[in-house]
Amino acid sequence: MSLASLFKSGIFLDLYFVKNNRANLIAFLLWPYLMLILILGAGFLFGSTQSFRSNVGEDVDPIVFFVSSTLIASASLSVMWDVGGAVLFHRWAGTLPYVLLAPYRTSVILVMAYIPRYILWSFIQLAEFLPPLILRKGIYALIIDLPILSVSLIVGMLPLLGFSAIFASILLVTKEESNILSWLNPIILILSGAFYPSYLFPLWARIISQALPTTHTFELARLTALISAPGVREVILIIGILLGMSFLYNALSYTMIGKAEEKALGSGSI
Amino acid sequence: MIKAIIWLHFLRLWRYRYSFLNMVLSNAMWVLLLILGVLLFVPRSQLPYALKSAYWTIACWSVISSFSSLVGGWTNFFISLGMVEEHILRGISPFLVISGRLLTASLVSAITIAFMGALIQSLFSIPLFEVEPGIALFSLIIVSAESLLYGLLISAISMRSTISENFLEILNFAVIGILIVPISVIPEQLRILYLSIPYVAPAYILKAASGSEPPGFLGIGVMISVIETVAFLLIAFLAVRAAESHIRRNGTRAIGFY
Repeated sequence: MSLASLFKSGIFLDLYFVKNNRANLIAFLLWPYLMLILILGAGFLFGSTQSFRSNVGEDVDPIVFFVSSTLIASASLSVMWDVGGAVLFHRWAGTLPYVLLAPYRTSVILVMAYIPRYILWSFIQLAEFLPPLILRKGIYALIIDLPILSVSLIVGMLPLLGFSAIFASILLVTKEESNILSWLNPIILILSGAFYPSYLFPLWARIISQALPTTHTFELARLTALISAPGVREVILIIGILLGMSFLYNALSYTMIGKAEEKALGSGSI
Repeated sequence: MIKAIIWLHFLRLWRYRYSFLNMVLSNAMWVLLLILGVLLFVPRSQLPYALKSAYWTIACWSVISSFSSLVGGWTNFFISLGMVEEHILRGISPFLVISGRLLTASLVSAITIAFMGALIQSLFSIPLFEVEPGIALFSLIIVSAESLLYGLLISAISMRSTISENFLEILNFAVIGILIVPISVIPEQLRILYLSIPYVAPAYILKAASGSEPPGFLGIGVMISVIETVAFLLIAFLAVRAAESHIRRNGTRAIGFY
């Protein structure tokens, strides 16, 4: 089986999943908007755009700010669930031994089969969010927001794949059955400044947030919310940080998941 | 029999203690994530009012969500194990066993509300638990009863037809959007109509008990809550009776939730 076959099976897996789970598809399309409407609706009920700008300390459009935040939050959650949580799902379904005994390394299977899903769904969500962006910013939504958000989705995924695979390796070794990612994922989003910028946090939280790849993806995507156009230098700097993190986390996860696999196969307790 | 049902649910709670802790933690963290976003819009001077209002709305929603998923959603597991027939053969209503999830849902909700409150209180230094205890307790009991009955209703429906869990989750999420609206922004002539939407009256009472809503509609809120609970009771009772009679005549098809 080649890597291309793994990639192709990932594509078909998703297409047939959608074909047989229409309710899931509708829910998937509705969720980001529900989250966005709740935050914006409650925000405008209890406060105002002026207070938002004064609290954030920057001249940003709250609607664009939360559209980009929601998009990245959904995409990041998807990576963390589908790569980090894959070990849990396989363990629950009883398929973990098969994945571990397959010719490819677990990390390669998790990542290669997942990439088509990520690209398909994150760009569907980006397309879904284009109308509010065009309403707010007109043609600039297509010239500035669309490219920046696309780059954020792609470059932001690279370190997060490795980061999530580290969780997969930990779950493999600890033989944890309970769904610890259900609370770990929102904590990661909170510390990444998903809906509340991380620079407003206390020092200890800011230190943790700098080590999380999602923090920088949120920062990159939210550059679109600035009323004035974002500087190219700023964009390149954040992309550089994300690429550096990609190298670090993927190298770390490759080693860690390899050791975890060996341990799981050696102990026979998978 | 009741003792056995209580024992069963406590035993399961202990067996799945990490899942129980996961549920509490994850509910609290998701709520915190959303609250932080909303608070970015709030001017500093309005923070105590907005935080109290948002917190008690979400506390109320947390009860509704826990009950509908832990009571209604557990039906799927119960049906797939073949437990419905086993209980009917022994002369025990399967819905009585499902109602025992009241214990699990109450514990998850109570600990989530306390943990979430302590967390937010420590982050923002705003007292959230300064409430009228009697009124708050009444409201929480009403909202728990309504949610349990709603859970039983969807359990009964799921014995005869499929129920999409995704849509239930969306419905749950839509509820929070309705509950979070302060009564002061509703036009005066529509306020009673607004309070008549399921769960809105007990949520309003809870917010009034915390001082984040004016108490002007407390009397009407109590009346609507009681009438609504009785209506929920009747509907759930009829649905459960119809489902049991259907199962006795046709057997259970493992439909449930998907």
